[in-house]
Amino acid sequence: MGGRVKIALLLAPAVGVIGVLFAGGLGAAFVQSLGYMPAIGMNEWSLDAYRQVLSDGDFLDSLALTLYVSGVSTGLSTVLAVLAALALRRSGGRVSAVVFQLPITIPHLVAAVGIALVVAQTGLGARLAAALGLIGEPGDFPALLYDRYSVGIILTYVWKEVPFIALVVLASLRGVASELEEVARTLGAGAWQRFWYVVFPVISPSVVAASLLVFAFTFGAFEVPYLLGKSYPTMLPVMAYDEYREIDLAARPGAMAINVLIALITGAVAALYLRLAGDLGRRRG
Amino acid sequence: MGARLELENVSHRYGGDAPALEDLSLAVEPGELVALLGPSGCGKTTALKIIAGLLRPSSGDVRVGGRSVVGTAPERREAAMVFQKPLLFPHMSVARNVGFGLRMRKAPRKESESKVHEALRRVRMEGFADRAPEELSGGQQQRVALARALVTDPRLLLLDEPFSALDASLREEMRGLVLRLQREGGHTTVFVTHDQEEAVVLADRIALVFDGRLQMYEEPEAFYDRPATREVARFFGATNFIEGRAGNGSVRTPLGNLRLASAAPPGDVTLTIRPEAVRLEAGENSFDALITSAAYLGTQVHYGLETSGKSLRVALPPHVRLAVGNEVTARLPAESLWALRA
Repeated sequence: MGGRVKIALLLAPAVGVIGVLFAGGLGAAFVQSLGYMPAIGMNEWSLDAYRQVLSDGDFLDSLALTLYVSGVSTGLSTVLAVLAALALRRSGGRVSAVVFQLPITIPHLVAAVGIALVVAQTGLGARLAAALGLIGEPGDFPALLYDRYSVGIILTYVWKEVPFIALVVLASLRGVASELEEVARTLGAGAWQRFWYVVFPVISPSVVAASLLVFAFTFGAFEVPYLLGKSYPTMLPVMAYDEYREIDLAARPGAMAINVLIALITGAVAALYLRLAGDLGRRRG
Repeated sequence: MGARLELENVSHRYGGDAPALEDLSLAVEPGELVALLGPSGCGKTTALKIIAGLLRPSSGDVRVGGRSVVGTAPERREAAMVFQKPLLFPHMSVARNVGFGLRMRKAPRKESESKVHEALRRVRMEGFADRAPEELSGGQQQRVALARALVTDPRLLLLDEPFSALDASLREEMRGLVLRLQREGGHTTVFVTHDQEEAVVLADRIALVFDGRLQMYEEPEAFYDRPATREVARFFGATNFIEGRAGNGSVRTPLGNLRLASAAPPGDVTLTIRPEAVRLEAGENSFDALITSAAYLGTQVHYGLETSGKSLRVALPPHVRLAVGNEVTARLPAESLWALRA
């Protein structure tokens, strides 16, 4: 019993911060999304904001764009990260430290600006391509910012998230996976057999875990699409922000409804992750 | 049936450090069980990994069945290895684990199934085929690992301290199991251990390695009766060392002229005798001594003796009780004395 009390006390500060700032904020957002804002005289509880948001074409376009950007960013990052981790698994810690740990320390905001400077039609890449004669003049460089396919956003996310996933995968590759691979070798498994029957099943829970985290993050992140996204449709977090900044306070429930929906979707992804992680843990080869 | 294994002048160094293994040469006959014995860090696991192919020796040759395998990948050596940890594949059932090597060789399904069943029966795990590894105890997991290695009928069976993580009674049971399986299957086996008792119980021959060098490669009895060096003798629990000078068929020592049944090399020698071989009686090679200490160990009593400035240790059955300070007559039987080059 004494142990439990001690654990509870030690956890209290962290739980307190999470509880007040996160659950409290989310709770307040939820309450406002139901149209309950006594401060401005809105005392009626209703689902109007949700009804309105979900039937709004702008919202659905925005949702589709957000799913697309998060999905493609996550998929690309995962594939590239696994390949990078496999390539670097036998190298020393220093190489992977430089290649992987450096980008992680750089804020998303800075990364977005950096990517913009390189891939803009007036940027480094365009001028280099023009100087090399690949394109006639810098303006002929393909539009990768504020563009239909959100290439700039996806590039930023891939650049930032590949190292994150790769470090997680590397840890499991260098841990038990490499020992199991040695066992498999002495039992006659060739390189491809070892990857397919041993290494991949062993690392897949951590790959799935890391990529679901990336999906949830890119789904709810605001700064990169705000800087590099086109003006319509915008990704959901940007849309929620715009609604929030609306001078008319009556738009507030709509903004909060979008936030709650983002939270629900990322929450569903997290639940899926827990479910999958459990299944993968129990899976028979 | 296992193959003959030969190591010839095998050396290995990791990076720029001192060699982990230096000039190791030994041959293991088909079906023989050899223990690679030594303190931790002596290079024995390095040697095993070189035999398995997981490490490439810096120099020297490894031959299996008369053919060099230095350039052969581990997966084509048919040298199955059991590690210190069971390392079962966590995503496969027990039966899938055991059948892994057969699947990699694309063995027919029916044949594989019966082999897996037979292997599980031999390690007494037949009821566990569909269990997940995490549901098994450490000892059960290691038995499955053993079955997984044996099911492919490897030319070499390599065991790297496979029982060191198990508790004492389980370890004893596993030793019996390995011995039985190895005899039945006739696998040429190399067993790495730091435990001299384990080596003595299991091995046909013991290769004792210190600091990457082979010290002695003989049957277990020889390490007690005819140790090659003082270090070897000490590793096997010898504590009595008497300096002397050999000549005229006996050795002149502070305890008097001692006769040996075996030949002593001429010149300065060190005599050794095991504590349990010392007799408290008069006769050849006897002298008077003082009892300086007594320690009761349950199955034995250890006495410290002192004479002419020399200390000796004697191990006697527990019913012999002598008091510290008593004078006794001690005898070193000629057939139990062994002369080492000083």
